[in-house]
Amino acid sequence: MLAVSGFAHQVYRIGMQQNIERSGPSRDNPSFRTFLSTASSYKVRAGMAAWLLHRLTGLALVFYLAIHIMGLRSLSDPAAFEIYITVYRSPLFKVAEVMLLGAVAFHAFNGLRILVQDMFFRSERQRTLFYIVLALTVIVTLAGGVPVIFPYFIAPLLP
Amino acid sequence: MNSQYDVHGVGSSRSEVFGWLMQRITGIGLVLFLMLHFWVQHMPTGFLATAAEYSEILKGLGEKGPEFAGAIAEGKIREALPGEHVITYSKVLERLQAPLWKMIDIMLLFFALLHGMLGLAKVLGDYIQRSSLRKAAVICCWAVTLFLAVQGTVSVMTVGMN
Repeated sequence: MLAVSGFAHQVYRIGMQQNIERSGPSRDNPSFRTFLSTASSYKVRAGMAAWLLHRLTGLALVFYLAIHIMGLRSLSDPAAFEIYITVYRSPLFKVAEVMLLGAVAFHAFNGLRILVQDMFFRSERQRTLFYIVLALTVIVTLAGGVPVIFPYFIAPLLP
Repeated sequence: MNSQYDVHGVGSSRSEVFGWLMQRITGIGLVLFLMLHFWVQHMPTGFLATAAEYSEILKGLGEKGPEFAGAIAEGKIREALPGEHVITYSKVLERLQAPLWKMIDIMLLFFALLHGMLGLAKVLGDYIQRSSLRKAAVICCWAVTLFLAVQGTVSVMTVGMN
């Protein structure tokens, strides 16, 4: 444990040193500009895509969670609650509802992948597992999303 | 290196291990709770009103008071489309009468808040390098979490009490 943390610390120190050297005059505020230049120099591979998507869906979900909890205050007033739900039933929100399911599904499956990988798999299986995560996300989003949007976007198309 | 950029306990600090373990536990819990939540609130089951049921409910509400009649007339409360299943107050109230459902919803609330805020604090910590600012951000996160936890718990516990 001590050896591992010592190694991690060493890697971190070298990384920070490079970050500060590279950022030059913006040393006091190195994060965003260096993030952009570093990010654009990377070739996006499965592992990085998984990390980035996990982070972006996580941020979106925590933002939505706060809005959702504030919306639930309308539970104290039946009329306000029906009006609140009607807003969420507009066609645009129905699409957002499916996107929400997609974000939750990806974040959940990718989280389980990280857990499984930590416990059972070695690194050569990582990419395969990530593709399985993407496939499961698509399947769950379609399976759950179609009933949600059916009355709005599919039923009107049927004869 | 300037000490204000120093890292705090990479892989060795107790609070980091606590956060990591909590993310695992709440993460697994959330997978189960959210499956249930999605089934109950988004899928066409008896927990939602059918188009016909919702039409009846709106008729009842329109007679109940002018605030309902006005909102229905203005389209702020809208009839369901054919085949649509709608979340409605009376159905939510009916479900939350059961203490078990209240408990499940509050567990979901706490797990989601804990998982979300631990994650957000970690993300902020990755981009905020000054340790004093990082601490301030974490404190802000927990203040918001506490506020939302109280807000959500009150909403669930006091439903139907007015």
